[in-house]
Amino acid sequence: MTMTAYIIAATHVLAQAVSESFPGAVGGTDARALIIGLLTGIAFGAILQRVGASSYEMIVNMLRLKDLTIMKFLFLAIAVGSVGMYIVDATAVANIGIAPFYLLGIVVGGLIFGAGWALAGYCPGTALVAMAEGKSDAAITVLGGLAGALTLSLAWDWVRSLLIDPLNYGSVSIPEVIGTRPLLVALVFAALLVILIMWLDRAVHEKEPEAGGKPGLMKP
Amino acid sequence: MNSQRVDTRSSRRSGNWRMNWILGGILLGLLNTFAVATYASLGVSRNYVVVPNVLLRVFGSGLYESNAYLSQFPAGADWLLMLALGMVIGGFLAALLRGGLNRRSVPRLWRSRFGSSRPRRFAAAFAGGFLLLLGARIAGGCTSGLVLSGSAMLAVAGIVFSITILVSGIITARLIYRRKPS
Repeated sequence: MTMTAYIIAATHVLAQAVSESFPGAVGGTDARALIIGLLTGIAFGAILQRVGASSYEMIVNMLRLKDLTIMKFLFLAIAVGSVGMYIVDATAVANIGIAPFYLLGIVVGGLIFGAGWALAGYCPGTALVAMAEGKSDAAITVLGGLAGALTLSLAWDWVRSLLIDPLNYGSVSIPEVIGTRPLLVALVFAALLVILIMWLDRAVHEKEPEAGGKPGLMKP
Repeated sequence: MNSQRVDTRSSRRSGNWRMNWILGGILLGLLNTFAVATYASLGVSRNYVVVPNVLLRVFGSGLYESNAYLSQFPAGADWLLMLALGMVIGGFLAALLRGGLNRRSVPRLWRSRFGSSRPRRFAAAFAGGFLLLLGARIAGGCTSGLVLSGSAMLAVAGIVFSITILVSGIITARLIYRRKPS
């Protein structure tokens, strides 16, 4: 099967690179880190596939506000993850690395990303899962992604001086800004997300006709 | 709850069974907690730089060392690269064990609006992927690293990025699927 050959070839390429350490490595390069990473990824991919996040229809209908299943799924995962991570952080060592906030790059990057999201119907992770399921348009999205990343690498100096370096506030988080314990903020944040999820769940159902028709949040 | 409507006995038999989003959301949140407790938070988009780096290295090109962007990233396997490989395997196995693979190239919804032309769908899929990773690498993460993990970590970058991609994605989807002028 082509997919099996795919995986064997990829594993072979990776095996050559195993146990070498490079700048920018995330989570370690020892055998144990690689195996745990692989197993975590298998669970990640399986959850995304089972919930339907690797479906073009589910993503595009979420963005068209016609079926918010994936949005609710994502928000709930954020809520549970937030409380979980900060419980770990309060009791043991958590590998929490706050992403740097540079206003221009985050907003411009986000606008470009959102357009690509609606056009492809996948995001970088779900495209990998959909490709593995056999969906050939998702494999094309992955190729487009590689081209996009390489294009950025060629324009990096320009992008950096224009979007990354100005208005760069560094690794800033909400608890830091308001000066409160992170776990407390995570609990409040999670509660707000659950309220939002419940509201979304009801809003879509209220507008949804009993049979047939076109359900949606917004009027055309 | 929409997913429960799909979860009927007949669709289960025909292989369309889907995990309830509540169960999926809790499992994914716990998985991210496990990831943070062991190595690092879930993230994907960086691997779209690492995979070319690995290939450049295997084929003997020095570009990954001389380029100011590529040289910031590894050219070998680490926890995060294995996560992406695992996602491919996990997605493959989950599909295989629950109803089989899906070999369609043009999504049903796309076909209903733009027809069954493969080149047309592939052009959009490629352009979409290009924009996804261009945007993700400018912002420093994607739906996994910045939305799922960044927001959960209460990073300002994650929350601003999440709101921006939803607004941009909703506007773009409405433009793509706007009503045909009659």
